[in-house]
Amino acid sequence: MRYVTTVDDKEFEIEIVDDHHIRIGERLLTVDFETVGGQPVFSLILDGKSYESFVYQGDEDWEVLLRGRQFQVKIEDEREKRLKAAAGGGVSEGGEFHLKAPMPGLVVSVLVEEGQSVTKGQVMLILESMKMQNELKAPRDGVIGRVRVKAGESVEQKQAMLSLH
Amino acid sequence: MFNKVLIANRGEIAVRIIRACRELGLETVAVFSEADRSALHVRYADEAYLLGPAPSRESYLRADKILEIARKSGADAIHPGYGFLAEREDFAAKCADMGITFIGPKPSSIAAMGDKGKARATVIKAGVPVVPGTEDVGNMTNDDLLRIAPTIGFPLLIKATAGGGGKGMREVRSIEEMPTLLASARREAESAFGDGNVYLEKLVEGARHIEFQIMADSQGNVIHLGERECSIQRRHQKLLEESPSSFIDDELREKMGSVAVKSAQAVDYVNAGTIEFLVDKDRNFYFLEMNTRLQVEHPITEMVTGVDIVAEQLRIARGRQMSYTQEQIQMKGHAIECRVNAEDPFNGFMPSTGRITHSILPTGPGVRVDTGVYLGFEITPFYDPMIAKLIVWGETRAQAILRMRRALEEYRIVGVRTNIPFHQTLMDSHRFMGGQFDTRFVEERFSMETASETDPAQAEIAAILATLVAHQQNERSAHIVRRNERDTSNWKWVGRWERMHR
Repeated sequence: MRYVTTVDDKEFEIEIVDDHHIRIGERLLTVDFETVGGQPVFSLILDGKSYESFVYQGDEDWEVLLRGRQFQVKIEDEREKRLKAAAGGGVSEGGEFHLKAPMPGLVVSVLVEEGQSVTKGQVMLILESMKMQNELKAPRDGVIGRVRVKAGESVEQKQAMLSLH
Repeated sequence: MFNKVLIANRGEIAVRIIRACRELGLETVAVFSEADRSALHVRYADEAYLLGPAPSRESYLRADKILEIARKSGADAIHPGYGFLAEREDFAAKCADMGITFIGPKPSSIAAMGDKGKARATVIKAGVPVVPGTEDVGNMTNDDLLRIAPTIGFPLLIKATAGGGGKGMREVRSIEEMPTLLASARREAESAFGDGNVYLEKLVEGARHIEFQIMADSQGNVIHLGERECSIQRRHQKLLEESPSSFIDDELREKMGSVAVKSAQAVDYVNAGTIEFLVDKDRNFYFLEMNTRLQVEHPITEMVTGVDIVAEQLRIARGRQMSYTQEQIQMKGHAIECRVNAEDPFNGFMPSTGRITHSILPTGPGVRVDTGVYLGFEITPFYDPMIAKLIVWGETRAQAILRMRRALEEYRIVGVRTNIPFHQTLMDSHRFMGGQFDTRFVEERFSMETASETDPAQAEIAAILATLVAHQQNERSAHIVRRNERDTSNWKWVGRWERMHR
């Protein structure tokens, strides 16, 4: 299987040859790759060099934490890449924004109401978690759609709290 | 003389206190909330009692319940740790009423230092320099504060009278933004301390935050154990501390140390405490506040002085003389502490919660880890995000930094995101290595991206790692689709599938 992997705008063509070999460009490398205890911690021995890293799957990208540095990694297999190229780009701009709780916590106050216009950077809601109050701001100008939470309510992580048109 | 100590706290500090009690042969009583049934302090203590539901207000802040448990269990002393009830004079007073030894200062000392306004007034009288600010104590209205602000001058700080830990603190650059900031400071102070009172203080720019550990016994001996450099902060929360400070020489140490001792004497202080100073670029120092309790970062002082501060606290609370005189306190080598928080440094230091599914603690020469969590423990949103303190000691500052770098790389915690990468980046920062930083360093001149340039070889390794993981996952899902092509028994396959989706 061939993959096109992008790290910080740099593309790598990586071919998985078999369980113990990969090819990057022209180079054939010997790999010994294991999860450590079935965790998102992975151990890689690459041509005798040993690396250990955290690899997390995000919504779209992958995150690799290696020696204190975090890399955003995009992986496409060849087929996906061709399909995408055929369909053309064109991701729709704007649309609805849903403010989701970035962490579980307690809604301290909701500073906007439905139908209200807000400007980018305006504080919409204050969420308390781990004893800190976090101000959640509008990512862009818009009008508040539905407000789903009230002050004093507990929210779960990723729970939708309000929407912005 | 007491024999059984109730620890009115949780997490790493409760474990730390239990350890000292154990070494001294004292019995220990833990208290815990519903969220902490399986916490380490509960498992280590001789006895453990449930306080109530997870929120602090219904558990660790329930002084009445804690005193009731002390009575029931026969505990004749209470160690409050830090936070929660540690700086509540009414709690210390109630302990005394019940004949229970409060391991800490007298209620009157807590009161004198606990109200930041009164504390300023008290130390000014003792001839201790303070940062210019509102001299008036008590309930100042927003109108009062807005009127006084221009006479102090901008930039200034709004601070909570009952405050600590940066809660209820706001920096004000101009009079225009002050009303909004006053409101949010009062709101945060109200929710954190149940007291929305605030005061103003001039913002000393380019300042370092340097504090002195002091100890005092009931015989009237007061000594200091040198300083801790605490300038590495974010939103007024300390992230890293070191001792000694590379900014201070022996002469200044002696001067500040004697002022620290004087400040403690001004409130007739007994037990361990900390005097916090701001030190400006020209090495002028100002009293900031006194923390009338054991401090989070006390281990670095223990590492360089060899003094077990918690054991001394217990000794002092038993009415005995301290084991040390000022002359016997020598600082040797250099210690650094990194606070490991469940916060994602790549995502605005957002708190992270979850179950710890993998954990390897760093060990080896000169390394100490104080923690209350372990594999399988759940990090909940109810308490502080600090999950561990990683402390190292080295002969020199350079050796300590190298050792910290090594220990951070060894540390593995999976299940929550931690700020370990922040500390790693900091250890590589030239300004940090050179000791060139102030309290604004992290917020204004530090970035997770620019601190070290990307090594192209590392990017390639990252690409390979991610691709291998993605490939492994693709293979697995392909395996699930092609049901009939399974090469193993159905039972084995179901087992693997379930493990994968757990």
